[in-house]
Amino acid sequence: MDPMFLAYSYFRRRKYQKCDEICSQLLEKNPYDQSAWALKTRALTGQVYVDEVDVDEEGIAEMVMDDNAIATVARPGTSLRKPGTGQGLPSQGVRPVTNSGRPVSGFVRPGTQSGRPGTMEQAIRTPRTAHTARPVTSASGRFVRLGTASMLSTPDGPFINLARLNFSKYAARPNLAKALFEYIFHHENDVRNALELASLATEACQFKDWWWKVQLAKCYYRLGMFRESESQLKSAIKQQEMIDSFLYLGKVYVRLDQPLRAVDIYKQGLEKFPGETTLLTGIARIHEGLNEMDDAVKFYKDVLHFDNMHVEAIACIATHHFYTDQPEVALKFYRRLLQMGVYNTELFNNLGLCCFYAQQYDMTLTCFERALSLADDTTSGDVWFNIGHVALGIGDVNLAYQCFRMSLASNNDHAEAYNNLGVLELRRGHIEEARAFFQASFVLAPHMYEPHYNFAALADQLGDLQSSYNAAKRAVDAYEGHVDSKELIQQLKQHFTLL
Amino acid sequence: MSLFKTRDWWSVAIGEDEEFDHGCLCIGNIDNNPDNVDKIIIGSFHGILRIYNPHPTKTENGWSGYKVEDVMVEQAFQLPILQIEVGKFSSVTENLQLAVLHPRKLAIYSVKAISGTVEHGQQYQIQKLYEHNLQRTTYNFCYGPFGGIKGKDFICVQSMDGTVSFFEQESFAFSRFLPGALLPGPLKYVPRLDSFITVSSSWHVECYKYQSIAAASQSPGVDETQNIKSGKKIVVDWTFSIGEAALDINVIAFPQAPSSILVLGERNLYCLTEGGLLRYMSKMEFDPCCFLPYGSMTEGTINYIVATTTKSLLVYQDVTLKWAAKVEHCPVQVKVANFQDLKGSIVTLSDDGHLQCSYLGTDPAIFIPPATDARDLNYKAMDAEMEKLQKKIREKAHKAVITPNLKTDDDLQITVHVNQHLDDGSSATNDAQIPGEKVPSITARIVLKAKTLVENIHVDIHTSRPLTSSQHSFTLSSLESGKSTELLVQFYMKYCSLPSTLSAEVSAKYPSATGAPRVATAKIKLPLKLVMKPVFPVKNAEHKLTIDTNKPPVSLNDIFPDLLGENAGSAGAALGFQFFGGPVVTILASKSSQRYRLQCDQFEAMWLPLKDLVGRLTSHLNRGRSGDFKASFDGSLPLQEYFELIEAHFEYRMNAVKCEEMLGQRASQFRVIQRRLLTKFKDKTPSPLQNLDTLLEGTYRQLLALADAIEDNNQAQNNTSDNLSSGTNLLNYLIKLWLDLTEEEFSVLTSVITPIVNDNHQHGWEEMVDAAVTHLLRTVLAKTAKDTSINPAPLTIPSDASKVKKHIALMCDRLGKGCRLIEGLRERSEHKQKLPAPKKMNITENGTINETPESRPVDNIVNMKYNENKKKKKLPPLAGDNISTNMFDSETFGLPVTDIPDGDNFNEKRRQKKIEAIVPNLDDMDNQDDDRNINQTDSQALFAL
Repeated sequence: MDPMFLAYSYFRRRKYQKCDEICSQLLEKNPYDQSAWALKTRALTGQVYVDEVDVDEEGIAEMVMDDNAIATVARPGTSLRKPGTGQGLPSQGVRPVTNSGRPVSGFVRPGTQSGRPGTMEQAIRTPRTAHTARPVTSASGRFVRLGTASMLSTPDGPFINLARLNFSKYAARPNLAKALFEYIFHHENDVRNALELASLATEACQFKDWWWKVQLAKCYYRLGMFRESESQLKSAIKQQEMIDSFLYLGKVYVRLDQPLRAVDIYKQGLEKFPGETTLLTGIARIHEGLNEMDDAVKFYKDVLHFDNMHVEAIACIATHHFYTDQPEVALKFYRRLLQMGVYNTELFNNLGLCCFYAQQYDMTLTCFERALSLADDTTSGDVWFNIGHVALGIGDVNLAYQCFRMSLASNNDHAEAYNNLGVLELRRGHIEEARAFFQASFVLAPHMYEPHYNFAALADQLGDLQSSYNAAKRAVDAYEGHVDSKELIQQLKQHFTLL
Repeated sequence: MSLFKTRDWWSVAIGEDEEFDHGCLCIGNIDNNPDNVDKIIIGSFHGILRIYNPHPTKTENGWSGYKVEDVMVEQAFQLPILQIEVGKFSSVTENLQLAVLHPRKLAIYSVKAISGTVEHGQQYQIQKLYEHNLQRTTYNFCYGPFGGIKGKDFICVQSMDGTVSFFEQESFAFSRFLPGALLPGPLKYVPRLDSFITVSSSWHVECYKYQSIAAASQSPGVDETQNIKSGKKIVVDWTFSIGEAALDINVIAFPQAPSSILVLGERNLYCLTEGGLLRYMSKMEFDPCCFLPYGSMTEGTINYIVATTTKSLLVYQDVTLKWAAKVEHCPVQVKVANFQDLKGSIVTLSDDGHLQCSYLGTDPAIFIPPATDARDLNYKAMDAEMEKLQKKIREKAHKAVITPNLKTDDDLQITVHVNQHLDDGSSATNDAQIPGEKVPSITARIVLKAKTLVENIHVDIHTSRPLTSSQHSFTLSSLESGKSTELLVQFYMKYCSLPSTLSAEVSAKYPSATGAPRVATAKIKLPLKLVMKPVFPVKNAEHKLTIDTNKPPVSLNDIFPDLLGENAGSAGAALGFQFFGGPVVTILASKSSQRYRLQCDQFEAMWLPLKDLVGRLTSHLNRGRSGDFKASFDGSLPLQEYFELIEAHFEYRMNAVKCEEMLGQRASQFRVIQRRLLTKFKDKTPSPLQNLDTLLEGTYRQLLALADAIEDNNQAQNNTSDNLSSGTNLLNYLIKLWLDLTEEEFSVLTSVITPIVNDNHQHGWEEMVDAAVTHLLRTVLAKTAKDTSINPAPLTIPSDASKVKKHIALMCDRLGKGCRLIEGLRERSEHKQKLPAPKKMNITENGTINETPESRPVDNIVNMKYNENKKKKKLPPLAGDNISTNMFDSETFGLPVTDIPDGDNFNEKRRQKKIEAIVPNLDDMDNQDDDRNINQTDSQALFAL
């Protein structure tokens, strides 16, 4: 059996480790074996490959060093930074929001977690949670991890010494250059060298290969040069319309905070590739980010028309139904996910909640039991919180109290649990404890309006009108439409004028 | 992710440890049976060829599955089988033959049936028709009616280096190089175009016409051989860049569908027209393994099955997912075959040899979650447990702070013996940072004794500044039960400041038998002679303290036998000690009265000698008798001196804050400049730097200088902290002697005015002590009920130290008035109250301090600001001046008179000036123009990508 054939066969079957071993042996025998060299670069790349479209973590460094001028006061509904009031979405009182003011999504993606701090100081000062000692840091951390993984696989130094590579020589050889580029970009994570190779290569093929233009755009994107990235992608699309090009261009516009333009690009892509689920999902995500839930759900439904196994679409639609008072419908979607083989804490937790609100009490506790048995440290806090919620619903205050305590035991940053504990303490007449809990809650999660309002109401009763007024103001800041807070402010203002 | 799974019709696991890859599975009516039923042909990398004819029968329990009769042929070759195909490879007949590709050989076989008398008596034979030996290692081959010849299949073999060799059945035709080949790709023949489609290493789909390949011979006259070295470049018909390597290619020639070429890439699926234009593509969110197109019922669409590494089969119609089904294994090749009882069965082969014939159905892919702890519920026991837990919770809920139970039976015991004498050769010579002194060291023997086997013992030795030990930590791998081990440690003074305590701590960390971490500790008492040396007594000193006793005086020589030095021959009325690198303390013993006096130029330095003196007197005079020795202090408290220490310490703290503020400013300035520079460099058209680089460098230097200043300040602050700590100890001790406090009260006092001076960014000593003293004043020391409101303010660094001084003075005053530090103790007797308290001290009788503005001393305490203005006109007589001059019958009580004689503003300015002085001036940087230019060009080169 020819070792080269065997290595290639392993590569086809995605057994990269074995392929890499055989190639290393071949290269030891003959260091100039080009095909073994090319195969090894590809095997090493395959081990760490992550689709660049999906990598979208925006870190502090990117935000602060980003000097692309973006309108700070955008018209409502045209910016992801300041999501519009949104039509057709349930109010904040029903559907909770993240700290960037967007409603909680049904599906965790890169970028849904972190907010966008304005300045370095603010970013550093953001509360550290029990889970991360550092504020949500940049993508670079993630990329560095990918890079270090690659170093491990080659204990005696990197496979290719990029500093000694003659890029112009390799750029002229299209059959080597592409694999080499992917190696540099994905495995070595050396964007600058990748960019150099790509620019030489695109020149070498007289700017006739769209692929190199897309790669150039990827590099520019990583380097934060979005306008250059945009122009490369546009040129690539002009030459040859490919799905990836549209996706990258959409991503560039999202980063430039032009969501509507991104939607246009995705739609343009859909004209060429009707029914492409990745493009449809892109549109749906943007609508979700803009608080346009109805549109988002419409596109998620389109996605399901073409790919009815799309987990993200199902989860997002289910979440929408849950928060629009249709727990039965949401239950159906979640059940489908369960049938498809999704088996994790989050799903059982959601199933439990849907069952509870759909008055299928017999299933509720079983679901939560499963959720707890699957939960790890990061999720058990949420599960306990939800069980506490259910306990409140059936009027078992003691159980609720203990559930919230459990939630805090597993995650002592659980602001919602603090808030609810505060309410329970207040019912028991422990005013000082309640105050402390509310305070802890709104310090941890300033984007939630409930602790602010609770604190304001409590302070009002205690006669601490000034703090009451301040807290009520914060509540209205967090949630403009909160009637109770507004009434409280009105009342306090009247009181102040009387004084 | 799929709802359903495939329904198993027939399956078999082939061989043991045999490997298969794409190409090893082939479907065809290989025995040319007239009923036209497909057979499954499998060849493995181990060289075994197998032909199956599955015909399971339906039973009550479903299909009967694999039977031995299903195997038609099983034959082992010596060579690995890379690919097998069925086609019309014989020039003699139109029957189907089997082509088998080995690494260096291509062989054609025919399969013949020899019928027996019964069904299972039928035999099959494999007969070699012809074979071609190949010069190069092969990769794959394709076949077809090249050149449009009807009813015959020619073969094109691709080798690992990208050479294609053509065989017109039994004869070799020619070999050609494919241009730019590095790693071979899938190869397919398109009959309609008479062309070959492949995906090259440059990730292009390439189409070559058969004619142009054939015509590209080097020179017409030369005979064609396989062993070619060079050749003309073959002209490509069209190319299409897909930007990824391809796994497989299929050519569509179905009647309802437009003829097209499907290419399965590593991440996408492409559908191209025969002219090389993209019809559609589909981005996959999974890793595909292989695919198979098949005819669709709907006009104009193509159906195809994609198998994924997630073990599922996905059926697409163009880009729409129609069906998803789970399979048992991850297939390397998928085919559709027509069998006797089942038309259109899906045949899959996995790389470890699982062959499966299945069909799609609505059997749910049931994932059975593991059962959660299903046990019989014993309600009675549960209720009991619940009750118990509830009770526990209720109990715990009352106690907010849950204190851990201390267990006394430690597995490890530490005992420490300190040597009587100082070490002969000091081990401090290299390490100590005290100039001009030979610092002695003392050795302590630490004995660890284990009751049970203890492993992983980590021994730490803590000393407080300026003392240090020769080694700070030990690690012992294990200690057997009943055994003990000894560690020797030398202690000595390292820094040139006053020690506040003469004890060190040893702690041993070890895991107990259950794995819980345990700590054992022991204290080491070090002798005074470690830090002081005897010198001649000094007559006059700035600060003096007098201690009264109730016993006749003793000769100092008797009680300090180890610290006499040159004073050994004297009368024993005076002894002098000097701290290494520090001040001299003189102890005087009165000949007639029962008093001892300490004097020193530095107030806080008297702490250790005083403590030692009282300790030694107690042990000397109480020897053998009941302990009725008592020392007392009835001079005025040296508050003034103490406050100076606080002031000094506080100033360094303020300095530190100032420096850090400036550092913060400079750092943000640095960032701003960096950002401006970055924008400039990123600009496409280079613009002048406008001296930003000079600014950057200047700011950088300022940063460095500031950091140095902070470091220096820290050093100084540490020294003053030590002094303050000593001073605090002394003050507390004096208060104890003065008021004859019980041990309990003394511990309250030391925890309130804590001698542990540990500053950090959040809170420092001053505000902590202030908060503690204020708390005392508001609780046990409160005069009226009005005082007792508790409203703790947040701990922030105060703007000056006057408040804490005021409160300490007030506390001392109240203590002097007979208040007790612990509630419930009876008021102290009157004479005690009167003795230290001066007559004019009627300030605090009324409780709140602000209520007696007419009293002068109160002004001193309360209204510092107001007082400052006053003082400039007329300095009041300082109460502190009286203390030292009239020590034996002094009546004045050391009240704080003023904190800073030269005013706050001046101090502020001085501080600022000091900081500014450290920071280099930007103007000084002009002479470095050359540097700047170099920098500039460098950085431009860096960013000019």
